[in-house]
Amino acid sequence: MNHAWQLALKNLRRNRRRNVATAVSIALGFGGLVLIGGYAVRVERFLRTNTVYLQQTGHLSIYKEGGLERGTAQPATYALSAEEQQVIATVLSARPEVEFFGRHLVGMGLAGNGCTTLPFAALGVEPGVQARALTHPEVLLASPELSRPVKGELIARYPAVEGAVALSAGLAELLGKTRVHDEVPAAAAQAEVVLPDCTTKEGRGALAHDANVQLAGLTWSGSMSAVDTEVVNVFHTPLAETDDGTVVASLQTLQSLYDTDAISYLSVYLRDARDTSRMRGIIEDAIRAAGVPVRAYTFDDERVGPYYAGTMPFLSSLVGFIGLLVAAVVVLSIVNAMTLSILERTRELGMLRALGFNRRQVLGLCLREAALLTALAVGVGLLIALCVAAMVNNGNVRFSPPGVPGTIQFMLTPTPALCAALAAFIVPLSVAAAWLAVRRTTRAGIVSLLSSHSS
Amino acid sequence: MLLAITALLTLGAAQAPTPAASATVDVVQILRDSDRLRGGLKDGITWSIDVESTEDGVTTKASYLVRSRGDDALAETLAPPRSKGEKMLFNDRTLWFLKPGLKKPVSISARQKLSGQAANGDIASTNYARDYDATLAGEDPVDGVPCWRLELKAKAGNVTYDRIRYWVAKDQRRALKAEFLTVSGELFKTATFAYGNVVTLAGAPVDFIKAMTIKDAMGSGASSVLRFGSPKSEAHAPSVFNVNNVVR
Repeated sequence: MNHAWQLALKNLRRNRRRNVATAVSIALGFGGLVLIGGYAVRVERFLRTNTVYLQQTGHLSIYKEGGLERGTAQPATYALSAEEQQVIATVLSARPEVEFFGRHLVGMGLAGNGCTTLPFAALGVEPGVQARALTHPEVLLASPELSRPVKGELIARYPAVEGAVALSAGLAELLGKTRVHDEVPAAAAQAEVVLPDCTTKEGRGALAHDANVQLAGLTWSGSMSAVDTEVVNVFHTPLAETDDGTVVASLQTLQSLYDTDAISYLSVYLRDARDTSRMRGIIEDAIRAAGVPVRAYTFDDERVGPYYAGTMPFLSSLVGFIGLLVAAVVVLSIVNAMTLSILERTRELGMLRALGFNRRQVLGLCLREAALLTALAVGVGLLIALCVAAMVNNGNVRFSPPGVPGTIQFMLTPTPALCAALAAFIVPLSVAAAWLAVRRTTRAGIVSLLSSHSS
Repeated sequence: MLLAITALLTLGAAQAPTPAASATVDVVQILRDSDRLRGGLKDGITWSIDVESTEDGVTTKASYLVRSRGDDALAETLAPPRSKGEKMLFNDRTLWFLKPGLKKPVSISARQKLSGQAANGDIASTNYARDYDATLAGEDPVDGVPCWRLELKAKAGNVTYDRIRYWVAKDQRRALKAEFLTVSGELFKTATFAYGNVVTLAGAPVDFIKAMTIKDAMGSGASSVLRFGSPKSEAHAPSVFNVNNVVR
């Protein structure tokens, strides 16, 4: 058997120009597939990370039955009470697949600066859980730009600051809050708050002298409420349309605003994202069995992660179509090269048959040649792709994805699994193409092969 | 003295419109007169307002002490206990919400829900003559009382309602009924007004508003009743309505 492979390798050294051309074609095709795949992996990871960790839906979001659909209109009815939270926490803590989980409260209201108010949508987080999510290795790899505040530090770093909140960049600008807590001199922060004269330019400019913002809203029982907060960081939201009106506050602050100890949902972060679909049912059943009527949603559910769910099918179809075109080019190259090679070597094949090689052995020889050529080309193509990816990644090319505020780095991240999968696809494809090209010739009789005038 | 005479003349006109006046109806004056009977006194008034709302089968109650003067009003929450001390300050058309311990007031909307069907503006924004352009749309009786039917359109975007159909009794120029409409003309709330309080203005007793019942017109069955108690004509200093003073 080894002899057959050696013979195939020796044969490859003949007709070097054509074989090199074929190998280059396969290498570029494979490299192209690796780069396209690397882009798809990058985008998928970016979207998944944004949804799971930055928007803090978790791989799974656990709502009270009906809470996702009706929780905004009737928060008190569809929230998870303190007792229910305890039951769910017990269930989640017992699952080794769960890395960590967090409690969240969502709400709306008005953010004021003493002159004007603007509407906001707020997410209440447990500061420690938020810090863990935003510094998760997945986030640092896929979305470091959006995980870092534009200014200031994460809420968890300010345990002594009462009502520490983070404002989205657009909202902070609209409120005139150009400085965060760390940028306000201590003396100014402790000074008695003076209401600005909102009718003058100087008065409006004075809004930036402190980082104090008031959040107002209706409590769940329907009465007006407001809390003082201190802006400790400004951040970009994962979606541009929410950048002018998002507040992230500690769970405690929002619960105080809405006068409740309940939460809207729990986010569950799994150790392995591939477990998401499987764990959805397991965790939901376990919590329901513990007596809390909940529904668990995966991050790719369009009701929880509409941006992810809406973008991925489009991206998949686009990458799939381009990949199909590249694969077609590779197949045609192989078929073309092998057809020409066989035509040139028809009498040689007849000689091999005359020396005692049967049809199968001759066919095997041709297929081995194709497999070796493709393997070689795949290695070269992989090298080319990795070099190109490294150059692109080191070039720090930045772009603004649609719907995302600010810029992110254009990156190509071909993973070992992707490269292996593509190689496992392209090598058999090449061999199949070679088989298509040579099968007819190898079926011919010895005399017919020897009398051929092709070579 | 001049003020008293003016008030008496105005009141007299309100209580007994002449046939000539009916023929050429001054709708702005009708609004001014009806505003006065709903609390829009230029010098000031102090009264309590109890709001009882029923929504989704749940009834909530709140009480406010309201002081107003011309275009300004200050409503202080007396109940429920968790909201005690919270204040809403109406400066012209700007509405501030304040609560004890809050460093700065929060500017809120008069349209925002106060309780049930009652909006913030319902407890103090009585100045329809200032906030709305009025036209006479016809004459309809309300519970047998002959009324003018006025169409009111908001002059600015920050008033409580975009459009109001407003029925004002011809005899004493008391507002008896209102329909609140969206900017596109869709009816979403109705209100009826009841009178029975007595306020002495310029030495004469005046029949004053006692209750305003607001009902959802979209079919939810929700309603709110605003009960006005102990109205007292009282001159308030402008400083009472200065936001800097209220914050302190």
